[in-house]
Amino acid sequence: MDIGAFGIYICLFIGLYFEVFLLISFLERRPEVKSAATPKRYPSVSILVPSFNEEKTIAGTLQSLLDLTYPKDKLEIVVINDGSKDKTAEIAARFAAEHPQIKLLNKENGGKYTALNVGIEHSSAELIGCLDADSFVAKDALVEAVKQFETDSSIMAITPAMKVYQPRKVLELMQSVEYMFGIFYKKMFDNLSAINVLPGPFSIYKSDVFRKIGGFKHAHNTEDMEITFRMHAHGLRIANAHTALVYTTVPNTVAALVKQRTRWSQGFLQNSRDYSYMFFNPRFGNFGMLVLPFGLIAFCAGLYTASYALYRAVSFVLTRALDMFATHIPPHLSTPHLQWFYINTSMMTFLVITVLGMTFVAIFLGQHITKSRLSITSFVSYFVLFGLIAPLWLARAAWGALRAQESAWR
Amino acid sequence: MAWKRYILAFCITAAIFGTAFYIAQRIDAGRIADIRATEESISIDILSSETQFELLGHLDCKIIAENPVLSDELNSLASRLSVAEENLGATNKEVINLKEQYSLLEIKDYLLLQQISEKCHSKPVFVLYFYSNAGDCKDCGRMGQELSYLREIYPGLRVYSFDYNLDLSAVKTLIALQKLQGPLPAFIVNNRAPVYGFKTLDEVEKLIPELKTLATSTAATSTKASN
Repeated sequence: MDIGAFGIYICLFIGLYFEVFLLISFLERRPEVKSAATPKRYPSVSILVPSFNEEKTIAGTLQSLLDLTYPKDKLEIVVINDGSKDKTAEIAARFAAEHPQIKLLNKENGGKYTALNVGIEHSSAELIGCLDADSFVAKDALVEAVKQFETDSSIMAITPAMKVYQPRKVLELMQSVEYMFGIFYKKMFDNLSAINVLPGPFSIYKSDVFRKIGGFKHAHNTEDMEITFRMHAHGLRIANAHTALVYTTVPNTVAALVKQRTRWSQGFLQNSRDYSYMFFNPRFGNFGMLVLPFGLIAFCAGLYTASYALYRAVSFVLTRALDMFATHIPPHLSTPHLQWFYINTSMMTFLVITVLGMTFVAIFLGQHITKSRLSITSFVSYFVLFGLIAPLWLARAAWGALRAQESAWR
Repeated sequence: MAWKRYILAFCITAAIFGTAFYIAQRIDAGRIADIRATEESISIDILSSETQFELLGHLDCKIIAENPVLSDELNSLASRLSVAEENLGATNKEVINLKEQYSLLEIKDYLLLQQISEKCHSKPVFVLYFYSNAGDCKDCGRMGQELSYLREIYPGLRVYSFDYNLDLSAVKTLIALQKLQGPLPAFIVNNRAPVYGFKTLDEVEKLIPELKTLATSTAATSTKASN
């Protein structure tokens, strides 16, 4: 066995270990079924909507918030216009004029974290939520989140179940499967008290969080990831409300997707460096012992596997081309062997099938958790495209992190 | 921290790896058995022809002409052996053993072919090809590709390939009889003088003028026509 293949076996072992770990976690504690019960109490809530040039989606975002089944006197919507140059402020102002629940704050452009901090300063509610201006909430999302807070008084923040908003294009379909996989592993991370990120779309915090650990930081353009790390560092519990659904728009071009994921991946690398003391530290529970190390290992494994596959493909093509050049054998198609004897039945084949099979299981469980179904086209898009595109952002993120260069927002 | 969960996940993962290893091993063992069965079958066929030859002092040339039996089976065996060698490694004892048996069958088929051509006045086209996969012959793979290609185009062409380094007295005797001394790859066409070193496809075709007398396969004919 060559060293390259040995490395792939190590990657497969780690990947399989992680999937097995999550499945054990699922079997130990299955997600509860959504109930029709209402919260015992409706705490006051401020939903912050940081906006920068979101004229295409902000109206839909605000309307979805207005449609929330939550007492209007307990819900405040704060739009923070972060120096938009398009009609975002105009649209938000119109909504604010028509709906007293909506408050518009205008500020100079300073980045998303500054907008969120301005919103926090202007809020006196018990719960503070964030919603990116390109996302839309289900009507009962807030009620479901509040119910989740009521299950345990030690919960300090809630993440929702995130789905792709109206996926139509191939890349959107691919991401719809990825997000479904994310729903499963986020719930399993919740079982392990090790949620790794409080995403921009509809994460909800107890206002005490900001009093205890401060507001958002620049954090390499991944303020949502950093605050999650900081909460774990301070022992603040984060839970997942899998019944609180939020729909988010996703990049539909390769360039936009790679840019977004480079920011996320590079942010993870740089925040990991900032919080390196948490790695393999039992004091931070499964977050320090499993989720953080696995995240980093998965990053390296992804890059390694892609590099190895590329090396093998290039070597194969080059060898064939050189052979043809040297031998003068004209291009021809040899009759393929169809008997079982010629099927690749190496140990690696079985392991890859197992890893893919377990990924399928995770995606199906994600569907089961959210009571939804993905199309066959989505699955095909995911399994065909993801492995081809992901290495691009992994490589860019690694390069950016090595050069300590900040990734771009958009 | 639930350490038990970490250990359990490790055990399950290790068990999955063990199962994958076991299944792959079983399938490889099945492949070896398949090759062995084919070799036995070919061996019986050769023995049958030889016995018939000895009993009657001749062979039914008509039947032989209509059923050029062993060539296809040996070709199929060669490609299977190549897969087994790739999966299990060239140094695997089972693979070496199968290769030795395969080489013996090739030699017996070659000898039988000589007898048949003499008795039936046929003019077979055959190549004895000697290679090494010990890392000392970088052109052997390419030469092998050329001969495989020619065999695909001309199904009547018989190629007997031998691992020069195989520790088998019959192969060593063949090498000595053919007075093979030069660098590998080397090949002998119809018992003529050995040709040493790498040759391009065009050069090989020139070295085997008898190819023109052989029929081409349907696929090759259509490929050639389109060129």
